[in-house]
Amino acid sequence: MGIVSGSMTVGRFRVMGELHDGWRDLYRDRLNEFAFTEPPVGIGKEEVEGWTQVHNLLDTNFDDFNRWLYNDFAVFALRVDKKKLPAKLFKATLDKKCQQWCVERDIDRCPATVRTDIKDALEAEWLKRTLPAVSVTECSWSIGGKYLLLHSLSEGTTDRFKKRFFRTFGLKLVPWSPLDWLSDRAAVESLIAKAPNRIELPDEVPLPTPEPVTDSGSHAGGAP
Amino acid sequence: MSADTEGLPILPHLAGEFYTWLWWTSEEQQGAFDLADPVGRVDLWVDQRLAFRNPNDNRITAVMTGENPSTTLEARAALAGGKVLQELRIGLRRDDREFFATLKGPAMHLAGLKLPQVVNEGGEEVLYDRMHLYEELCFILAGLVQQYADARNGPHWDDTVFPRLRGWIIGEG
Repeated sequence: MGIVSGSMTVGRFRVMGELHDGWRDLYRDRLNEFAFTEPPVGIGKEEVEGWTQVHNLLDTNFDDFNRWLYNDFAVFALRVDKKKLPAKLFKATLDKKCQQWCVERDIDRCPATVRTDIKDALEAEWLKRTLPAVSVTECSWSIGGKYLLLHSLSEGTTDRFKKRFFRTFGLKLVPWSPLDWLSDRAAVESLIAKAPNRIELPDEVPLPTPEPVTDSGSHAGGAP
Repeated sequence: MSADTEGLPILPHLAGEFYTWLWWTSEEQQGAFDLADPVGRVDLWVDQRLAFRNPNDNRITAVMTGENPSTTLEARAALAGGKVLQELRIGLRRDDREFFATLKGPAMHLAGLKLPQVVNEGGEEVLYDRMHLYEELCFILAGLVQQYADARNGPHWDDTVFPRLRGWIIGEG
């Protein structure tokens, strides 16, 4: 489900900045430079991110324009990998290992420094054999239209995307305002100046009259 | 703030009012909107979701879903009680093409957007088709925002339009 298929849930942004001559080659090179690269096997809990093609998140080479540039629509995705350990199981295992350490030494309590060492070793061991959780957020950038659709409304995802987009292309993403639909600057200024209308209720509030209800209990009316 | 560098402001009260105006106008005009050229005639109806927030908060406090939630007593009672529309799911028809989308929040994000896609196979063609349809939807939405702006900035908002909208909300007339 996303930009290329299924239902879309998108935030729209204006792309601020100058379009350079030779942008096709420039953006190809920048996408390649900031593409997702597989992290080393022993990586810890650090997040790893980078651009991928939308067709397959394992395709991270942008040399072929036909795979990501459609007229002046650039379509690509941000992949973020993060390893996460099962917290309850990890804590239970850590407690057992600390208990075992105490039994072997015939003492009651495991010192904090030892517990930390055991925890670090266990974490490193488990992270080595844990697959990351992978998130992929697609975008469609109308380069001529100077707008970008991001297939996410999450604030955190949006912030991450905006930062990487700026690092990659040197262009800023600014949230689209409904006022951007208006071509008349005077109309925009006038709307901005309007105070919110409040529904001031009369002393005795008459409730809205309900629509007739059919025998089946559903309300009449609706879509034409 | 400079609109050229920072963009135009996103005003929550305007979005809430626009959603309410859209809902009311669709009922007043039986769904028919004659938008300025080149958009032309479109049909619009409120579909299966309405979400409300309190005026000074952006969290949703009431959601109505299911079949025709806009015709329920509770929906207009929420407005009458001072709540503000935060999300509005609409259906739109232009010529023989039907679009469905939830207009979401002050920035009017589009959620659960269903496009009347014709091309379903061939990667490149599918993408062109979807982007073309998305742009057509934006073109219609721009026409609707323009019509709302004309009404809101027009000379009859305070003495005619808003009193009628308010009357509809509280069940007068």
